[in-house]
Amino acid sequence: MRFFLISIISIFMNLSWSDCSMAKDSSKTVIAGGSLTEVVYFLEQEEKIIGVDITSNFPPATSELPSIGYVRALSTEGILSLKPSLILGEDDMGPPLVVEQLSLTGLDVRILEEDHTSIGILRKIECLSEVLNTKSKDTLSKIDLIKDDINYLNELAQENKESGIKVMLILNMQGTSPIVAGNGTSGDGFIKMTGASNAANKFEGWKPISSESIISYNPDYIIITNRGMNSFPDIESLASTTSLKFTNAAREGKILNEDGMAMLGFGTRTVSTAIKFAKIFSK
Amino acid sequence: MSSILSKKVHSLKFINSFQTGILALFVISTLLILVTSITLGSFNFSLQELLNDSNSLDNIVLLEIRIPRVLLAAFVGASLGLSGASLQGLFRNPLADPGLIGVSAGAALGASIVIVLGSGILPDFIFGTLILPISAIIGASLVISLLYLFTQGFGYQGITYMLLVGIAVNAFASVGIGILTYISTDSELRGLTFWTMGSFGGASWQLIIPALIIISLTMFWMIPSARKLDLLQLGEPEAYRLGVDVRKLKFKVIIASAITVGISVSLSGMIGFVGLVVPHLVRLIGGVNHNYLLPGSAFLGASLMMTADLLSRTLIQPAELPVGLITSAIGAPFFLWLIFRIRKT
Amino acid sequence: MSVETINLTWEIKSKRIVDEVSLKINQGEILTILGPNGAGKSSFLKLIAGDSTASDGEIKFDDIPLSNISIQDRSFMRSVMSQSQEIAYDFTVKEIIEMGWIDRGISDYSKDFEEAVKKISIECSVADLLEQSFNTLSGGEKRRVHFARTLIQLWRPSGSDDPRYMFLDEPTANLDILHEQKMMRLIQNKRDEGIGILLILHDLNLAAKYSDQIAIFNEGKLLEIGAPRTVLNEETLSKVYGLDMQIEESPFRINYY
Repeated sequence: MRFFLISIISIFMNLSWSDCSMAKDSSKTVIAGGSLTEVVYFLEQEEKIIGVDITSNFPPATSELPSIGYVRALSTEGILSLKPSLILGEDDMGPPLVVEQLSLTGLDVRILEEDHTSIGILRKIECLSEVLNTKSKDTLSKIDLIKDDINYLNELAQENKESGIKVMLILNMQGTSPIVAGNGTSGDGFIKMTGASNAANKFEGWKPISSESIISYNPDYIIITNRGMNSFPDIESLASTTSLKFTNAAREGKILNEDGMAMLGFGTRTVSTAIKFAKIFSK
Repeated sequence: MSSILSKKVHSLKFINSFQTGILALFVISTLLILVTSITLGSFNFSLQELLNDSNSLDNIVLLEIRIPRVLLAAFVGASLGLSGASLQGLFRNPLADPGLIGVSAGAALGASIVIVLGSGILPDFIFGTLILPISAIIGASLVISLLYLFTQGFGYQGITYMLLVGIAVNAFASVGIGILTYISTDSELRGLTFWTMGSFGGASWQLIIPALIIISLTMFWMIPSARKLDLLQLGEPEAYRLGVDVRKLKFKVIIASAITVGISVSLSGMIGFVGLVVPHLVRLIGGVNHNYLLPGSAFLGASLMMTADLLSRTLIQPAELPVGLITSAIGAPFFLWLIFRIRKT
Repeated sequence: MSVETINLTWEIKSKRIVDEVSLKINQGEILTILGPNGAGKSSFLKLIAGDSTASDGEIKFDDIPLSNISIQDRSFMRSVMSQSQEIAYDFTVKEIIEMGWIDRGISDYSKDFEEAVKKISIECSVADLLEQSFNTLSGGEKRRVHFARTLIQLWRPSGSDDPRYMFLDEPTANLDILHEQKMMRLIQNKRDEGIGILLILHDLNLAAKYSDQIAIFNEGKLLEIGAPRTVLNEETLSKVYGLDMQIEESPFRINYY
C-alpha cells in the first residue's frame, strides 16, 4: 500500500522521465534495470558502471559489479554509498519513495520509459548514447547495425502476420497452471515483434490461467522462459505432465524455451532473439 | 463519599525498584542502539564533510535519509511492542500478536480498499497522510472488535480458539488483498508482494512526523491504563468489582492498538512477530505487571526493531533485505518455542 | 445503614432465576444464604454486586439506588469474592493481593498500603506465599489469597466509619477445616468492625454457627429469613433439600441422611 501512496506523491516530483540530454558527469553510473545494463555494455561504456541491480545479469561480467538489490526494492542509502554521479533506471524502478529521495539529493536520476516495441529498443539505445555522450563513429555504426536488424525483423514479422500464427508466452509454472503474458505485458510486446499474435489476448497483465482457457486459446507455439523450465527436466515432460498437453503446440512439439531477459528485457538482445523466433514461426 | 475519593493527592505506582532499574536499562539501550543505528549503514560518513559543508551528500544522507528511517523503525517497533502487550492483556492471552491474530492484515486490507476505490477522488496529499492511515486504523479496529466478540468469555482457555479466529481473519484479509492484487496493474502487483514483507525504506520527514506525533500521543494515552489491565487479568467481572469500567478500558485498548498498528502498517508494511516476542522477553526479564510491561515493551520493541533494520540495511549492502524477513526469521522459532512451553504447563 | 433489595427479580428467557426477593444486609451483621443448587443464590449475589442487571425491583446501598453509584464508588463500598478464573500470566501472590488496593489517590491511605498488605496477609495465613507465583498455589491457597484481596479492597484506616459490605460466594470451598474455621472467625472479626456481610454457604452447620441471620432460597424465591435457630427447622430444610433432617438442640446441630 505504501507503494501506491508513494506513487501518488511521486507525481509532484520533477523526475526526468526519458530525459535524454547529456549527463553532466556519467563517470560513476548506477543502473537499475537489466536492459539498460545490456545497452550500456553494447555501447561499450561499461567502465562507467559502478553498480547494477540483480536483473542486470547480461553480459555475465556484470556479476563482478556491486549489487544494489532488486530493481523494485532499492535502498536509497545503499545506492548513495556507491557515491554515483548518475542513476539510470527503467520505469519500474522503485519503491517510488526511494526514487524520490534519490532525486532530492540532487543526483542526476534518469528514468527511461519502457515501450515494448522494436522502436522502443532503438529509442532506448539512442537515448543512452546521448546521455552517456558516446557519439563515436564506432557506436554510431553499431546503432546502424541494430537498425538493419530491426528492418530485417520487420520483414519477417510481416510474413508471420499474414500467416496468422498464435503464440503464448509463459513466465513460469505456478503448480501446473502457467503464468501467461496477457495484453500490455512485455511478453505481449515480444510476441508482436515477431509478427505473431498473442494467443492469450483476453486479459491484462501476467496472470495464471486454467487448463480450459489454455485449450480455448490453443496457441500454435508456446514459449517458456528458462527460469520457468527449471522445475522440469526437459520440454517433453513439461508438454506431457501439465495442462499444456491439450494444446496443438504440445502435440506438435512446438514448445520452445529461451532466456527470459533475452526476450523480455527489451535491450539489444531482444531484437536478435525476436529474429530467431520470427524465423522459427515462418517455417 | 465521592468528594474524598475524587481527590488525587498521591498515587501508588505498583512497580518495584528492580523493574524500575530494568526500565532504565531499556531506555539506555534504546538510546545506545539509536545512536549506533544512526552511525552505521552502507553509506560511510566523513566527519569533515558533515561539519564543513551543510549541503554535502553526507549531510543529506544523514539528516534526510538515515535519521528519519531509524526514527520510523524505533516508533514502529515501540508501537508493535506496546500494542502486542496491550492486546495480550486485553485478551488475557499470551499469543495475541497483531500479526498472528490478523490485526495487521485488517489494517492492510483497510488501506488497500481505499487505495483501489478512492485514490483518484481525493487530493493526493490528504489521501496519503490522512485517509490511508485512517482506513488502516479502521481495518485494524474492526478486526480487534470482531476477535473480541468471537473469543468473549473464553478467557485463558480461549488461546487456541483465538488463534483459529486469527487464521480465519488472516485468510479473509488475504482474499481481500488477493482480489485487489488481481485487479491492480502489473507493477503495483509486484509492489504489493514486497510490501507484505515490510520495509522502512523511503522514510521521509513529511511522512513520519504526523505519524510519530499520533503514535506518541496514543502511547501516553494508553500507558496510564496499565494498572487496569492488571486487574483485568482476574477476569472481567472481578475487574469491574474492583472499580474498573471494563467497557471503557476495552474500548481504549482496542482504539489505541488499532491506531498504533494501523499507522505502523500504513507506513512500513506488515512486520511480523515483534508484538509477540517483545512482551514475552520483557515479562521473562522482570515480571508481568503492566506498569512495567507496557513501557518496557515499547522500549524493547524500539531497540529490537532498530537492530533488525540495521541488519536489513547492512547485511547485503548496498542492497537491502526486507526487515519483515529478519523479524520473522527470529520470531517464528520463538513462536514455536512458546507454543511448546504453553503445552507443557 | 444497609444494602436493601426490594422485589428483586431476574428473568432469563422467561424463567425467573431470582423471584421478587426483598431483604436487607445490615452493617455489622452476617447474613447467610442457604439453598440447594439452582436456588438463585449466586444470581442474587451477581445482581447486588452489579455484575448483572435485574429485570425488575430495586437495589439500594444506604438508600441510594445502585444504578446511581459509579463503578468506582461501588468498588469502595463493597467487595465481592466468587469462584475465580485462571490467570494467564505469572503474577506473584503479593501482586494479586495488591490488586485489591484501589487507588484512592489519598496520601493518608497510600502510606498505610505496605502495612495493610502485611497485616492482612498474616490474618489470612498467606504471608509465607507472598513471593510465590499465584498459578503454582493449591486451590485452598488460591481461595485464601483472593480472600485477602477482598479484605484489602475494603481496608480503611482505623476509626473510619465508611459504610462497607462484603459479598462472599462459598469462601470456604477447598479449605481444610483449620483454615475454614480461621476464615469464618476472620469474617466475624470484620463484622465486628462494622462491615455488612453476605455469605453463600453449603455447610448448614457452619452457617448456623457463624451467621446472625439466615435466608433460605428455593427456586429463585426467598423462602424464609431470620435468626438461625428459628429459620433452620426440620420441616423447612427437609422440604427445601428433599432430605430427612434432624436437629439437635444442645449443642445446636443439623444432621441429615
